[in-house]
Amino acid sequence: MSRDSNYDHHISIFSPQGRLYQMEYAFKAANTSSGLTGVAVRGANSCVVVTQKKVPDRLMDPASISSVHAITPSIGALTCGLHADARAVVQRARYEASDFAYKYGYPIPVAQLARRVADIAQVYTQSASMRPLAVTTLLVGVDDAGVGPQVYKVDCAGHFLPFFGTAAGAKEQEATNFLEKRVDDMKAYTADETVRCAIMCLGSVLGSDFRGSEIEVAVVDGVRGQFTKLTEEDIEKHLEAIADSED
Amino acid sequence: SAYSFSLTTFSRTGKLLQIEYALNAVANGRTSLGIAAKDGVVIATDKKLASSLVDVGNVSKVEAVGEAAGGGSGMVYSGVGPDYRVLVRNARKSAQTYYRQYREPKPISQLVKSTASLMQEYTQSGGVRPFGVSLLMAGLDADGTPKLFQVDPSGAYFGWKATAIGKNYLNAKAFLEKRYQEDMELEDAVHTALLTLREGFEGEMTAHNIEVGVVSKTDGKFRVLTPEQVQDYLDEAT
Repeated sequence: MSRDSNYDHHISIFSPQGRLYQMEYAFKAANTSSGLTGVAVRGANSCVVVTQKKVPDRLMDPASISSVHAITPSIGALTCGLHADARAVVQRARYEASDFAYKYGYPIPVAQLARRVADIAQVYTQSASMRPLAVTTLLVGVDDAGVGPQVYKVDCAGHFLPFFGTAAGAKEQEATNFLEKRVDDMKAYTADETVRCAIMCLGSVLGSDFRGSEIEVAVVDGVRGQFTKLTEEDIEKHLEAIADSED
Repeated sequence: SAYSFSLTTFSRTGKLLQIEYALNAVANGRTSLGIAAKDGVVIATDKKLASSLVDVGNVSKVEAVGEAAGGGSGMVYSGVGPDYRVLVRNARKSAQTYYRQYREPKPISQLVKSTASLMQEYTQSGGVRPFGVSLLMAGLDADGTPKLFQVDPSGAYFGWKATAIGKNYLNAKAFLEKRYQEDMELEDAVHTALLTLREGFEGEMTAHNIEVGVVSKTDGKFRVLTPEQVQDYLDEAT
């Protein structure tokens, strides 16, 4: 069966060059299928996730469409990719976080949760009976005990890395370029500066201004702070502050 | 899994192509190397990451195994990172299980055999592909001798005096062959390891884009060097 080189495009086996095509295709699906871009930034004591909010049909209830999910009260996730796969990842992450707290008696650190989500994703790249989930997940939270704010990106291959700032989705490369220029400043950002940096990043790569109803913003501020989605009014305030500072 | 048949099967010419392809995945991975000196072992890897946005201090490729079980082994890889994590986890559990039963640290040669055995299973079991990593495992064996082993995706393992895996491994091995000496001391081995790593390094090698792990006969514990310690060695080398 592995003689037939076309199978390496269908299931998770190695191609002659040692590539895993299914994993690469899952990446493509995760980044391009939804057409959305998400950004996460880590400040001195807080983390932010920002993404576009596109309601495909005017008859749809906008409140039911979200790429931003709370995994625990103080860890949040921004998912980029196939909506249904994202739901599966979030459900599992919630279970894993809850199970950890039950077994060990304390809330799961962001790094541990990222590792767990990543290990599960790895299984799908090695086991032929399940396809990889086409989702890139940005996990944010503020751990205690000197660890501070954390942003982790977990991809469909099971890679996970801690970031000062990162992006995922259609305009991932442009957004990352924007953030790289500001990486040294980021480490000292206040909560507001973190939010504004993330919003400006998204704005610059999308090349357009947006209203508060067109983006989703969520913040974790302070050690084990609550993962909170900003309301439209809060977002508008930040947008105004950005517009003022640019004048 | 739902697949009850092996995905790794013999080709008409008698080859197991999935394993060969896995080795190609390893050869595309970041370089790792190791040297077994007379009083310890050093392993090191290229940790260059794609972006300055990554918090590199919290990324680790060199991992200690068996610390809690009184042992001092360590490992590093070249190839597919997520697959490596599965093997580290497996090695750690295996070391602990052994300790629980025998109240002695699992010797490196035994750890290597269990890990290799697991990797072999994934070349034969139904519905799974081989691990896309080669491992370098280092530690003091049951008699206290420093040992370095390589484990391949096929499950084959080899003991080495010094070796390299991943990108550019042939040049690195040639470099090591010239400089290896039978009675080499650990300090010299670390220097040689860094020189070898620098040979094939793209761009500037710093204490933050490499990782070095060392186990010495004096205390038998495997330690990953901090960036400051690595910097000291790098300064000495210039």
